Amino acid sequence: MYRLKGTPEERHFMTDVIHRSGQNLLECLQCGRCTASCPISSSTVGGPRRLIAQILCGMREDALRDPTWWYCVSCGTCASRCPVEINMYHVATTLCEMAEKAGIEPIEPSIHLFEDLFLRSVRRYGRVRELKTVMRYNLQMRQPFKDAGKGLRLILKGAISPLGMMRGGRKDEVIERIFARRAAVGQGETDHEG
Amino acid sequence: MKVSYYPGCSLEETARPYDVSAQKVCRRLEIELEEVPDWCCCGSSPALKMDRLLSASLAARNLVQMEKQQLDQVVIPCPFCYRRLLSAQTELGTDTSLKARVEDVIESKVRGELNIHSLLGFLRYQVGLEAIRAQVARPLHQLRVLPYYGCYLVKPGGVTRFDDPENPVSLDELLAALGAEVLDWDFKTECCGAGLALSKTETVVALTRRLVREAVRRGADALVVACQLCQSNLDLRQDEISQAEGQSYALPIVYFTQLMGLAFGMSAAELGLKHHLVNPLPMLKEKRLAS
Repeated sequence: MYRLKGTPEERHFMTDVIHRSGQNLLECLQCGRCTASCPISSSTVGGPRRLIAQILCGMREDALRDPTWWYCVSCGTCASRCPVEINMYHVATTLCEMAEKAGIEPIEPSIHLFEDLFLRSVRRYGRVRELKTVMRYNLQMRQPFKDAGKGLRLILKGAISPLGMMRGGRKDEVIERIFARRAAVGQGETDHEG
Repeated sequence: MKVSYYPGCSLEETARPYDVSAQKVCRRLEIELEEVPDWCCCGSSPALKMDRLLSASLAARNLVQMEKQQLDQVVIPCPFCYRRLLSAQTELGTDTSLKARVEDVIESKVRGELNIHSLLGFLRYQVGLEAIRAQVARPLHQLRVLPYYGCYLVKPGGVTRFDDPENPVSLDELLAALGAEVLDWDFKTECCGAGLALSKTETVVALTRRLVREAVRRGADALVVACQLCQSNLDLRQDEISQAEGQSYALPIVYFTQLMGLAFGMSAAELGLKHHLVNPLPMLKEKRLAS
């Protein structure tokens, strides 16, 4: 499948992904076991096999805009079944970091928003405040009453506290410092080696 | 036996029944859980997806805090936290350049010699079925259960290693030791949609729908989970599943620690069984396992 005769840019993208993710995509047989097993592959989400084909063919723009790696929940099913042991959630991380560095708008804004709000909560409090993050997400998506009925039922059962939606708790300076120090290192300097 | 305990963020907030039942069951088994001091989020799937160095740094910060406890054994109920902390320890052990960068970010050294267990793996293999059986005061006879492992506990193969990635058995064996009738099915490790719960709810419904439908078809009284994300995705989406299927579903989704507590003679209320959206109590009362 891969073409060593591609342009230098195409080949560079392929080797870059392989180097950073630590996953030897050159061994991919394109057998399709990954996509057949993948819970998020669908008629609109291409799945791992197609994504690997794009990378091997140097299709940088397509690969960095493929919804597959946004949808990836790192379930590890493809990695468990791959005959050459390619782990696609490491590839997902690599593509996500590369797309961000290239300034490409997230092709799946809702998934990006949730993950971003999640990490903001961790940065501030050291731990994710789940209910607060859910509320923020629903507000920013302009769907403030999504699952409100379920939330109310859980509150009435005593399963969750309505205070949890407001409560932040104390700031965690240690974790804030870790986020700041990580940001200072800069993006795209995190090559995978294993 | 005293072990280090890392609850993870969910168990503090939306999955308190898992934490409460885990603590009670461990106390009964004479396992002292010492919470990791000042633990932080493991980074979960958002950090794993978006920023490898951050993900490894958050995990490493927790490893350092655990190492300070000097307890050697670490027990983690949340499958994602478990897999992330375990895989981070392995990555730091094999990738010296990553380790150097992580130690610079967190300003601490990581030894990386902890024995990290999932709560399920720890109870099944370290504590063992004999010790569990010895505590059973009210065997769960008549209760037909389907064990659901989800993904992060056992996949990918070679990362967590305590059970088989395609056909795990630890939960089956543990439930059988409680006296329950354990059914078999092909969906033990099929994904529930995990972290797409909010952003792609329709995907979660499409995935959990297959699980609930199959579990009911097999005649299960309850689906038994070891993961709070599986629990909430399956428990919270049964209205949507019913609508999609044109048939009403109300399948109780319970934590294995809750069933252990019931078998040990504890009450449904103290195990948080009243807190699930699909109420398991009518079914448990019918089986004379709750009053």
